[in-house]
Amino acid sequence: MNKIKALERQLEKLIKIKRHKYHPLIHKIHKEHKISRKTLLYIKEYGPHSNISKTIVRESIKILLFASILSSLGGFALEGLKSSFLTLLPLIILLPALNSMIGGYGIVLASKFSAMLHEGKIKQKWPINKELKILICQIFVVACFAAITGLAGALLFSYYLGYILTSAHILKLLVTVIISVISIVIILALIVVIVGWYTYKRNLDPNNFLIPITTSLADFINMIVLALLLLLLF
Amino acid sequence: MKNNIMPFFDRNFQDIFFSGIISVIGGIFAGAALAIYKDKIILIPGMLVLLPGFLELRGNISGTFASRLSSGLFLGIINPKKFNTRVIFGNLMASFFLVMIISVVLGVLATLFTYIILGEFTFKIIFLSIIAGILANAIEIPLTLITTFYLFRTGHDPNNIMGPFITTTGDITSILALLIAILII
Repeated sequence: MNKIKALERQLEKLIKIKRHKYHPLIHKIHKEHKISRKTLLYIKEYGPHSNISKTIVRESIKILLFASILSSLGGFALEGLKSSFLTLLPLIILLPALNSMIGGYGIVLASKFSAMLHEGKIKQKWPINKELKILICQIFVVACFAAITGLAGALLFSYYLGYILTSAHILKLLVTVIISVISIVIILALIVVIVGWYTYKRNLDPNNFLIPITTSLADFINMIVLALLLLLLF
Repeated sequence: MKNNIMPFFDRNFQDIFFSGIISVIGGIFAGAALAIYKDKIILIPGMLVLLPGFLELRGNISGTFASRLSSGLFLGIINPKKFNTRVIFGNLMASFFLVMIISVVLGVLATLFTYIILGEFTFKIIFLSIIAGILANAIEIPLTLITTFYLFRTGHDPNNIMGPFITTTGDITSILALLIAILII
């Protein structure tokens, strides 16, 4: 009973500590009461004292602005090639699917890596463990399969819409999609590990940072890769 | 041998695989709508500048929302049977507020970049971005909340499924919202 009261007192103290300040109390509660650091971060960040929406907006806004600028720059590259892009109906159909892939796998990787960090599965010195390696390989396999399925769907729709397909065209599109997917997975993995580790070490909630940074950077690089492939292959 | 292969094709793989395939199929349908209405959507000056960021916005805002909800649910800080709590309300308010700000920014950036490429100001795209952003998120954010809770209650890890789910539904709602916004404007 005394232990619970002591914990309550410590938690009350904890929620009064400013967000950006790391306090030894976090370590003390974590050690004494075996409460995970993630739970303590949640109590500190989104506890009864805090304005939750303000905290989220404050933490997310800069990164979302950065993401918007980056995505627009990627779109800027495509807008410059609008005339050739518009003639490639299968690529127009594939664009949202590629965008979905980046977002979807980015969210899976980012949220899983955030969870690994908070659960203490990632060591302080080296941010990669076996679980993460398997996850990246799983995403790579699924992404390749999904991209080829997507291309088949895009070709079918294009054919249905009256687009004339040649074997050379199909091959070029296949090369474009495969190169895009390989670059997407590599970029996603690198960004998630580097940014996730960095934000966690700065005592911030990686959930608020990782997803926008990962998806926007990967999206931007994918747009540049697509624009380059459009210039080179078509 | 079996022990080496099985961890790779585990429950995680199955979740990622099926949600990935559904995501691509959804993306293809959204892309088909984009191709069918390309004269109405893509031919608008600046639309290709706006489109990647606009499609991504759903993932960035609803994705972080789902990720925060999942963390809270797993930690036991959010009750999976209660929607009406301070934490959820705060999250919803923040998500809507962020959508408004970022939609304006995306619209302004599209206008600026169009001016750089074509030398003409297209203010219409700012209103288009705001209206479409509000419409898409009015559907997407409640959908994210309900689905995350449902998945958690039924024993799934929402982290595996919500990413592809959000981006797929986000693509479809975004394209539809853009079409409606074009019709309104």
